[in-house]
Amino acid sequence: MNPQDVADAIAQALVQGGSQWLVASLVAFLPAMWTMALILHIGRPYVVRTLRRCGLRLGADVWWMSYLLMRDGVLLATLGISLIFFAPALVANLDFPITGPLATLCLLLALAVKLSRRVDDDVAAFRLATVFLVLGATLYYFPLVFAIEAADQESLKWFADNLTSSANPQLALIIMWISIAGAAIVAAWIFFHALTSVNRKVSSRMPRTADIVQPGRQKAAVS
Amino acid sequence: MSPDQLAQAIISGINDGGEQFLEGTLAAALPVVWLALLGLHLGRPYILDMIDRFTLRLGADLLWLVYVALRDLLIVSGVVMSFMFFFPDVVTGVALPLTGGLAAAVLFGVLLIKLMGDPDHDPRAFTVVTWLLGLGALLYFIPYIFGVQATNVLTDNFQAVSNFLVTSTNPNWAVALAYVSVAALAIMGAVAVGYTLRTGGRAETSDAEELAHSPQA
Repeated sequence: MNPQDVADAIAQALVQGGSQWLVASLVAFLPAMWTMALILHIGRPYVVRTLRRCGLRLGADVWWMSYLLMRDGVLLATLGISLIFFAPALVANLDFPITGPLATLCLLLALAVKLSRRVDDDVAAFRLATVFLVLGATLYYFPLVFAIEAADQESLKWFADNLTSSANPQLALIIMWISIAGAAIVAAWIFFHALTSVNRKVSSRMPRTADIVQPGRQKAAVS
Repeated sequence: MSPDQLAQAIISGINDGGEQFLEGTLAAALPVVWLALLGLHLGRPYILDMIDRFTLRLGADLLWLVYVALRDLLIVSGVVMSFMFFFPDVVTGVALPLTGGLAAAVLFGVLLIKLMGDPDHDPRAFTVVTWLLGLGALLYFIPYIFGVQATNVLTDNFQAVSNFLVTSTNPNWAVALAYVSVAALAIMGAVAVGYTLRTGGRAETSDAEELAHSPQA
């Protein structure tokens, strides 16, 4: 190898290694995000209990606003990072939980419930969002703990061989394409729901044509 | 060595080194988190004493809310950062405190009691939380100080004990305790989800009752 070869090898390694390091860091950060999202969502009764003890409206508002921002912000960030599970090349080549894309779909469904119904006022909607979140977390945690992070354990070899995306790429890609289709349907539904709800709100605030009094006519009627 | 082999070796070094750096940083930060959350929990009488001295309700409310948020977020962070104790490959490959996973499970137990009980107003729940935090701290700090930190300075029998307390030098126990911790966490998680589904995310006590027991009242 001459010096140019070494320089090229290091440059290539930095580009490829940097990209893999970024993806690996995101994947390593996801369990923390999922756990934080779950704890914040499930801990709502505790937050409401503390909120009710605030003697002043200002303190209660600050507390509730901070909670909402953290809870929903963490959910959105988790969804954003989880989108790496929808990248076919990464799913086929890297060690991802095989049901990671389904977990992402469940997260998106939970967010869709939050978007379409008043989860903080409607008990049934809250329960539905909770079910989606817990289902998604289970689909993420189980292969992560027992397959990805237990690849060297002889007793868990079956899990490592079958629940790791790079070890079982055919099934992993099928699950990924199904999840992408589901996510596309949910995203389209969210889009049209947002569109119709905006139109509904605008039309409910606009006065009807018959009620509009034109300045000129009003003047004429008065005179 | 060909240029491609060199590139692959550097890539492997970057990834493995990065992962170990992340786990090492989390392991180094956890004792600080444990100390801070213990200090905040045990410092509750001091905070209540400060609240009594406020002449404005606003200041008292804000101090209490900031205190509660800091204390409980640190507990949540402790659980989140302890997640590496539940990964069998990590505990066998990295030098971690042997009972760190159990400490994390105990910390999650504290969160469960805070969710289902009312430690800030029920003395019995507060006592249980205090005992659990003390137990968790012992489970974390004893193997951390006498195992992970002392393994290179001890000799003979003490070294054997020290090695026993470190996950990478005692992999069988480490993996078994990781499974026990995962099971405990799964059971407590299921209880927490069941409670939240049953209450629909609402606090169970009435407004009047809660205002009467307000710490600032």
